[in-house]
Amino acid sequence: MWSFIARSLEITTIFLLASIGELLNQRGGVLNVGIEGLMLLGAASGFLTALWSGSILLGFVVGTIVGGIFGLLHGFFSITLKVDQVVSGMGIWIFAMGFTTYWADSYSGPLPKGLSPPGIGGYLSPIFFLAVALVLIVWFLLSKTHLGLKIRSVGENPSAAEATGINVARTRYLCVVVGGLSGGLAGAFLSLDYFGIWGHLLTGGMGWIALALVLFSLWRPFILFAGALIFGFVWQFSISPEAIAPGLGIPLGIIRMFPFIVTIIVLVVISTPKFRRKWGLAKPAALGEPYIKE
Amino acid sequence: MRLPRLKLEKVVALKGWGAAKVSIYSIITAFIIFSAFLLWEGANPIEAYRHIFSFAFDPRLGLVSTLHRSMFLLFATLAFILPLKAGLWNIGMEGQFYLGTVGAFAVAYAWGDLPSGALIPLMLIAAALFGAGYGVIAGFLRGKLGVNEIVVTLMLNLTAFWLIQFLIVGGPWAGIGECRSRPLPDSAVAPEIGGLPFTVFLAIAISVIFFILFTRSKVGYQIRSFGSNPSAARHVGMSPFKISVLVMAVAGAIAGLSAYHMWAGDPRFYMIPQPEAYKSIGDLTYWGIMVGLLCLLNPLAAIPVSIFVGALKVGGPVLIRRMKLPFGLDLLFLGILFLSFVAFQFFYRYRIKRVKEKR
Repeated sequence: MWSFIARSLEITTIFLLASIGELLNQRGGVLNVGIEGLMLLGAASGFLTALWSGSILLGFVVGTIVGGIFGLLHGFFSITLKVDQVVSGMGIWIFAMGFTTYWADSYSGPLPKGLSPPGIGGYLSPIFFLAVALVLIVWFLLSKTHLGLKIRSVGENPSAAEATGINVARTRYLCVVVGGLSGGLAGAFLSLDYFGIWGHLLTGGMGWIALALVLFSLWRPFILFAGALIFGFVWQFSISPEAIAPGLGIPLGIIRMFPFIVTIIVLVVISTPKFRRKWGLAKPAALGEPYIKE
Repeated sequence: MRLPRLKLEKVVALKGWGAAKVSIYSIITAFIIFSAFLLWEGANPIEAYRHIFSFAFDPRLGLVSTLHRSMFLLFATLAFILPLKAGLWNIGMEGQFYLGTVGAFAVAYAWGDLPSGALIPLMLIAAALFGAGYGVIAGFLRGKLGVNEIVVTLMLNLTAFWLIQFLIVGGPWAGIGECRSRPLPDSAVAPEIGGLPFTVFLAIAISVIFFILFTRSKVGYQIRSFGSNPSAARHVGMSPFKISVLVMAVAGAIAGLSAYHMWAGDPRFYMIPQPEAYKSIGDLTYWGIMVGLLCLLNPLAAIPVSIFVGALKVGGPVLIRRMKLPFGLDLLFLGILFLSFVAFQFFYRYRIKRVKEKR
């Protein structure tokens, strides 16, 4: 039972890491639909670095930085070149699918003995606490600091923000790079610590669930945390249902659909008029729109 | 010596030839970058491209396969184009294709002893209906509640993948021994016209119908005006909800039809292969996004671009056999092409101009 909880908290970690940065960059007005891509790139580069250097830590560092570089690239496309943010995010995602398949698939398999993560029995990765800390930091940043105010104003009304002397482009760049770093870290954690293996398109849709979580959270870090806990449980349940409900007898294919169907249901629930009236629309007003100085 | 001073100049959104040139430049750029990867792998790029296209267009080797895959891609592209005309991102072609598979095979297994003339139309109808039903989920939710259709269609892809996995791996449709489905009855196989399955011509016909629809019809006008300005769409006489459902239903139906084309139009299948193999065919639908964007949502331009990409897909594996290059180069090319396309988007709205120095 404890090992089930530990595993689902690790899934929560992956969702949290991938989505907390995305939450920040959406608050700043930039939508990145390519989280799945950031995770794939972080996972592949982290895995290969660890394989070649023999250092897990270095793998984490490289995976995170690679994520950051692609966050920066998304920023360059969507902030400087003012390309449609959905097109650019799709580009990051599809590039990542292609590049990691070409680059890392020939190394498919587990990490060597000394590097593989500790066994499943009751081990909880310390990265979990890092992810929780990140939630607190982002909450504090957004609601208590001057920088957070700047980020929110850039996401709500960039021209008004510019008028008060905020550098819109620079603030947005900061947000997308942080979003990229956290996506890369989520990927590195997935391949190095959660699985300890590389396989074709390892993320299996987790990045898209992370994106859905950000929409679900109404852009609030603590709701995001709660959502990540729920989805960590749902995902782990779909992988090993017998830990919770022995003798359930539902075929694997059916049970694996579970997280994706729950995601859709959750998105539907938060989109109902009743729910919206109660919680208000917190969507950053300028989300998805390039800021063009007139 | 002085560097010329450059200035950005805003241009009105490019149209027609100007816009097409941007797509062509991004393809050329992608080929240049991809060549660098080939050189890195120790292969001569010119030689590699010669191998790819000479195999893909050789009537004795890859031509039939190329046309078959191209038309599969064309179905996926058309299913992507139509919703985006109305401003909806349908990236669920993969899921709609799987559901079309379920529909077509359910009919074939249930009434396998019917003659071809009855069975094939029934399979096509079932494939289209299942695909359409699956597409409508996203269209309905978007139209009614404003749920993000990108996330929903992707979740539906993953759901449908596991549905097929359930059906053919040890499930009700499992074949004997291997992880693949039972074979289709002989009467379900697509009849050929000039050596090609008739669905090839169906795909081309749909492209032409789409072109006429977009340029000549009232519905096409309503869809386009909704896509370019959702708030003004109320004045053109169709509710946003109806448009969302309509475009996703038609798109889903087309992606569903591609399932019949894929499995019943290629002698190597006539069944659903093991998950790894059909997954890689599902991935082919992601090219639909790329082709749709590259040809600027023009359904006629999608035909040659699809054939070009189909040739790459069919000829690509030759590099593994003949030049000992690694697996996945074709997906890498897709990624590079997409990124270079994104970068070139800039030129739709800006132009770099040299500023004349004052003497």
